[in-house]
Amino acid sequence: MFRYLALRIAQAILTIFVTVTIVFLLIRLAPGDPAYAYAGPLATAEQLDAVRRQFGLDQPLIVQYFHFLGGIFQGDTGTSYSFRQPALSVVMDRLPYTITLAIAAIVIAIIISIPLGVWMARRQNTGREATASILTIAGQSMPDFWIGIMLVTLFSVLLPWFPSSGFETWGGLVLPALTVAILQVAVLSRIVRREVAQTLQAPFITVARSRGVAGAGLVWGYGVRNSLVPVVTALGTRFAGLLNGVVVVEVVFGWPGIGSLVVRALETRDYPLIQSTVVVTAILAVLVQLVVDLVYPLLDPRVRLGRKVVS
Amino acid sequence: MSAVTDSVFKKSAVVRAARATRVKIIVGAVLTLIVVVPIVLARVLPVPDPNAQDVFLRLAAPGTEGHLFGTDQLGRDLFSRILYGGQVSLLIGVMAVLVSGVLGVVLGSLAGYYGGKVDAVISRLIEAQLSLPLLMMLLLVVALFGSSIPVIAFVIAIANWPEPARLTRAMVLVEREKPYVAAAVVLGVKRFAILLKHVIPNVISQAVVLALLLLAQAVLLESALSFLGAGPQRPFATWGRIISDGQDFIGSAWWIVTIPGLVIAFLVIGVNLIGDGLQQGSVGAAFRRLARSVTAMPGRK
Amino acid sequence: MSVIDLNDYSVELMTAAGVLKAVDSVALTLEAGKTVTIIGESGSGKSTTAMSLLGLLDHGLAVSSGKASLLGVDAVKDRRGVDALRGRRVGLIPQDPMTALSPVHTVGAQLRQAVRRGRPGTSKADAARVAVELLGSVRIPEPETQVKKYPHQFSGGMLQRVLIAIALAAEPEILVADEPTSALDVTVQASVLDLLLELQERTGVAILLITHDLGVARLMSDTIHVMRRGRFVESGPADRLVNDPQEEYTRKLLAAVPSMTDAPAVAGAKGPTASGRRRADAGHAESDTDSAAPAAANEGEAR
Repeated sequence: MFRYLALRIAQAILTIFVTVTIVFLLIRLAPGDPAYAYAGPLATAEQLDAVRRQFGLDQPLIVQYFHFLGGIFQGDTGTSYSFRQPALSVVMDRLPYTITLAIAAIVIAIIISIPLGVWMARRQNTGREATASILTIAGQSMPDFWIGIMLVTLFSVLLPWFPSSGFETWGGLVLPALTVAILQVAVLSRIVRREVAQTLQAPFITVARSRGVAGAGLVWGYGVRNSLVPVVTALGTRFAGLLNGVVVVEVVFGWPGIGSLVVRALETRDYPLIQSTVVVTAILAVLVQLVVDLVYPLLDPRVRLGRKVVS
Repeated sequence: MSAVTDSVFKKSAVVRAARATRVKIIVGAVLTLIVVVPIVLARVLPVPDPNAQDVFLRLAAPGTEGHLFGTDQLGRDLFSRILYGGQVSLLIGVMAVLVSGVLGVVLGSLAGYYGGKVDAVISRLIEAQLSLPLLMMLLLVVALFGSSIPVIAFVIAIANWPEPARLTRAMVLVEREKPYVAAAVVLGVKRFAILLKHVIPNVISQAVVLALLLLAQAVLLESALSFLGAGPQRPFATWGRIISDGQDFIGSAWWIVTIPGLVIAFLVIGVNLIGDGLQQGSVGAAFRRLARSVTAMPGRK
Repeated sequence: MSVIDLNDYSVELMTAAGVLKAVDSVALTLEAGKTVTIIGESGSGKSTTAMSLLGLLDHGLAVSSGKASLLGVDAVKDRRGVDALRGRRVGLIPQDPMTALSPVHTVGAQLRQAVRRGRPGTSKADAARVAVELLGSVRIPEPETQVKKYPHQFSGGMLQRVLIAIALAAEPEILVADEPTSALDVTVQASVLDLLLELQERTGVAILLITHDLGVARLMSDTIHVMRRGRFVESGPADRLVNDPQEEYTRKLLAAVPSMTDAPAVAGAKGPTASGRRRADAGHAESDTDSAAPAAANEGEAR
């Protein structure tokens, strides 16, 4: 099992490295002077020179790369010129908001999609399941920003139940979290349905039925319990999609997280900030994956104990 | 002599599944065509110029004076903007699907067929990419390289290649074990040729389903990008941008935001339904096998 | 007093290819304490008969008709009645031990669950004790430790014994054994079969045995029914059928057995508990098996 963990950790680190490298290369390879990218479009000649020296832009690519990496290890990913602060601190200031939104959405999604998925799995090919199926397809087919705007219109403009933007009160969390959650519920419940339906075809389910196990005990105790590994895997992979959704939703709702930060940074061409955001989100996503990977042994004794046969 | 009456048969799992599949494909096709056909025929249809501004008819409601969907804040006809914007979206979508499809199938086939190190590298790449939230990186690329149609299509293709790669790899792995491959090897056919001539064609029959699902995702991703300001500006703004521009006018002109969103939803739902239905259909053949194997129950493969 | 009574019993399957009569008008009687065997090739419908009788086939798929009495319950009409029998008065020993148990629950947990189902009112502590005893009765060494293990940690032969223990947990009156030894090595087969015979002597349980293995049938049965394409081709007392087959098909089946000698290299001749009975060569009715459907590719879910 430790070999498994070590492998996963190595892969996580590798992924982060590759992402960071790609970001590095992108900025350097794009048309235009990277110095402007770091100093801002309004920079003076001296500022440009200072940036060139700081980032070593006149030096060979390899040297720049190590410089860059070194900076990251020291927590320095450049200075945001639109905020006039170290980019990393700007990002970290706003990260908790994004995480709050993400967690709220995840909790809602899990609470709804697992029972929903199981419900659909048990009623395959019935009229009710077909309706649910269409609804879930619809849920994953509508653009998330549009859902957000519609929800705002309905529950903020027409029915003044919730604030339409910002995070002054906890009520402000409801609509954005719901918007993100709708898509996730749609996708996740379909995954749960597929996995549970498949597990329910397994031989051991028939054998369990032959000893009288039935109803909820059979479906949840045996069916769902044995589907947890693929479902949890899906949750982990979905986290990336979730973050994508969060970015868009933050813009719609003016949520003060890193999603709206990055969009604003793009408008002002504040590349150090963009760079930092990308790096931080990549690390976050990879960490979540790692946590999910660490959960497997808890769920599946075959991973936990290895395969030693008693004869 | 049979206890299976018509009414019993109609309720059987097999008939229900077949019916569900049919319904899905039909409804999906209808929804998709409702959106795609007008878009394709945009130049032929009698719609106003999408860029023609009309100061007097700003924010007109749907149905006013020949504006089927009303007008936007500059008096431009919404219907034709949706159609022409749709052309750009579809173009990008199709391009992205082609590139990501080809890239994904090629890499997936290589990984599945040659296995070993090739597979390890490609699989790790797929896993890594799937675990990353790509939207921000895509925004970065567009910001750096400009928001032209090729750039956006390329960026979407990069986002989407892992899925076809993973599926292709899985299918190639199954095909590879089949006897005709071993036979070809024995006969001295070079491995790459085997891949090309035999394995891939068998696998391509799933390509339609795949392409549809990719298209759905491409359209959604493109609309998100253009909503965030990273979409194509020339020749026409696409749906995401229209929605984004219309946000300010929700109270006064709800149609600017609502209708393009519905159009996207119809298209994507339609495409997803067709894809879903087709996938189920090919499972129908497995149903026959399931029925036979069910008689042997636990253990019998 | 017959515990199973089938008359004009049929099972039809509703498939994509149409309605398939998997079991066609079969008749069978099982008395307490006896063993009745259905023998046939793959796809002959023997497993379907048993599964349908026990109500284990999905009713979106299978429709049964005719007369079927299972411990007095009408198995065709009274689904609820049959549901209540499962795990209490009827037990199933499945074919492939490796896939028959939930991989995420310990063997002990599944045993205890069977005990509490089969003997209502058993406390948790008692169930735990009975579980260990059951493992002992199927001759699994060190049952107290094994109880905590997971199915994947056992070999096929041991798992099959565990499955027998589970089936017996409820002290059933009928055991349905669906190819109980087909997935096992020949050396292990003998010991499992011996165990079954011993248990039958001890508890008087009636056994409905499904197999394609002539040797197993010969060893275990009082009555044999030969099944082919859903119909019983020939039925009769085991000795008579084996020594004096009437039907062409039965003769072919017997002829498929390699020559009958007492050569020790032959399956089942050696076993840790070889009893006095003569072990014949294990003959297999040759047949094709369906190839597994290739795993369906995943839906595209990434977004």
